[in-house]
Amino acid sequence: MIGFIIFVTFIGIITIAFSAIIQKKLADSIILFMGVGIGSVVLFFIFKAPDVALTEAVIGAGISSLIFLMALKHLGEKK
Amino acid sequence: MNLKRDISTSTFSGFALSASLILTFLNVLLNNIPTNITRVGDQFLKLNGSEGVANAVTTVVVYFRGFDTLGEIAVLFIASLGIGLMLDSNTRCNLKADSNFMLKTASQLLFPIIILFGIYVMVYGHLSPGGGFQGGVIIASGVLLLLISHKEFEVPHSVITLLETFAGISYVLIGLIGLVVLDKFLGNFLPHNISDMGMLLSGGIIPIIYIIVGIKVGSEMSMITQNLIKRSDDV
Repeated sequence: MIGFIIFVTFIGIITIAFSAIIQKKLADSIILFMGVGIGSVVLFFIFKAPDVALTEAVIGAGISSLIFLMALKHLGEKK
Repeated sequence: MNLKRDISTSTFSGFALSASLILTFLNVLLNNIPTNITRVGDQFLKLNGSEGVANAVTTVVVYFRGFDTLGEIAVLFIASLGIGLMLDSNTRCNLKADSNFMLKTASQLLFPIIILFGIYVMVYGHLSPGGGFQGGVIIASGVLLLLISHKEFEVPHSVITLLETFAGISYVLIGLIGLVVLDKFLGNFLPHNISDMGMLLSGGIIPIIYIIVGIKVGSEMSMITQNLIKRSDDV
């Protein structure tokens, strides 16, 4: 069962990451990047690294994506 | 979605090149597995008991690699400084529209809980997963929630300056006291018995340093988000 969850999460992360780089709008890419972060949180937690999982959940999936979105807003205004 | 049209050839060739390099590297690694590896993690786990901290990751980050952590928060300070210099937000923000009632009430309800959880993660960093970096960023995300929901809300600059200066100075001061007392920068000069492992007051200076790191990271991340949000509202 746990192996199945790991397999599904791994395939999901690769699919989301590939679809993030082929998006046309940058905002969609950032949202999908957030999804990659959430998938890695599950993997880190299963592989018994709760410290890294907490860091990834807070920084990788949370605040860095929001900073990307705000920076994208800046770039959009200058265009 | 047309794969051939939307993705440039250089993306595909770069992907193929890096994949083949990784596969070659893995092949070389798997064919030459060295015997008798001495793992540094085992040494760290053996040493960890002498500090009396339940979470071994915290001991490594704050104590064995304490000087690296000092460098990391210096890097974060420089990033915050750069954003503050480039996006100078002296002008008051004027949002186009006020945020709606639901967002305001929900953020007022959630803000104390988020701050409390951040402080919990920060203070219990030496007992459970988490620590200063994570707790600080959780507090900064609570501030971010208030920033996007209340247009008049602003973290006062003087408070951030005070907190950040206090945290940076006390980190270096604790390190220097350790240098004076134990001839070792960031030496653990407070009592740290192994019998106290798992208690809130254990591990000597390690929880104190992690709380200081949390204060510094929290104030810096709050300042970064505030600069970015104010500036993007101005235009």
